[in-house]
Amino acid sequence: MIVCVAVVGHQSFTEADDALKLHHIVHCSLDVVDERVNNPKKSGPTLNETFLGLLYPTENYKVYGYLTNTKVKFILVTTDLDVRDVDVRNFFRRFHAAYVDAVSNPFHVPGKKITSRTFAERVSNIVKSFGLSST
Amino acid sequence: MGREVSESCIDSLLTEMVSSYCNRFYANKPELAARRIEAIGYQVGHQLSERYTMERPRFSDHLEAIKFICKDFWSELFKKQIDNLKTNHRGTFVLQDNRFRWLARMSLDPTAEEGVPQDPAALAESKAAQAMSMYLYFPCGIIRGALSNLGIPCAVSADISNLPACEYPESYVLCVVMHACSLCSNGHCHGQL
Repeated sequence: MIVCVAVVGHQSFTEADDALKLHHIVHCSLDVVDERVNNPKKSGPTLNETFLGLLYPTENYKVYGYLTNTKVKFILVTTDLDVRDVDVRNFFRRFHAAYVDAVSNPFHVPGKKITSRTFAERVSNIVKSFGLSST
Repeated sequence: MGREVSESCIDSLLTEMVSSYCNRFYANKPELAARRIEAIGYQVGHQLSERYTMERPRFSDHLEAIKFICKDFWSELFKKQIDNLKTNHRGTFVLQDNRFRWLARMSLDPTAEEGVPQDPAALAESKAAQAMSMYLYFPCGIIRGALSNLGIPCAVSADISNLPACEYPESYVLCVVMHACSLCSNGHCHGQL
């Protein structure tokens, strides 16, 4: 079950239950993202990919990262223990498409929180179907 | 890629945008009109760069990003790639488009009267050229917005010339000059070329 999805540009916007703990996890995972991106020797062939893969497993959660060309990071926190790589990639692909549409809104101010209800609906649809496809 | 808009709508929109800003909102203040139009272009470029980099692997360096602008981004916007890319290896790039599409339906008409002495004709031509240059602020803004979203803040300016001997006699050659401050070795540079 996906617990939290975060979009991090220059500021962070998150959508979650149990906000504080998840904020903490997301912030820690951002450090891992930076480390992955800035240490090319470790990343190897995945350096140029947008999907950064499993960042690190903590306690009950798994955290996945995704970095776009425009330096926007998506962080996915899930409680599922057996998550398939391809499902997460799919998730990020659809999430990226929803994000691009939300940001293309001429009334959206870059750098501010995304307030579009359509975006929220699309994201919750993607989250729901993530749960279904992985069973 | 979703819904599309006809090209003639875009042409009309751009013409009307320049006309509104130059003749109504900022009449007699062409610099303010130009800045406003460039700022609109900046926002559009910012958003378009999000969309057009979506399915691509990340760029490994700045040159990759600039090549993206010259090929894929230019193709999406202007249906062709840049014809020539030059650099001085110190942060300045010149992009040349031999047949700039957004000016394809415009004509400069310097020959207003026949038998007119040289000076007024030259004046008329430079006025027409100045009017024409107002149409370049929007594409410059788009390029600047796209590049800055890809992590390369820069200053963008453009110039047009009409080469009668070239393959397409009625087309305009657009030269876009980009100065990327982060690539410049001059520590005191402020976007000056």
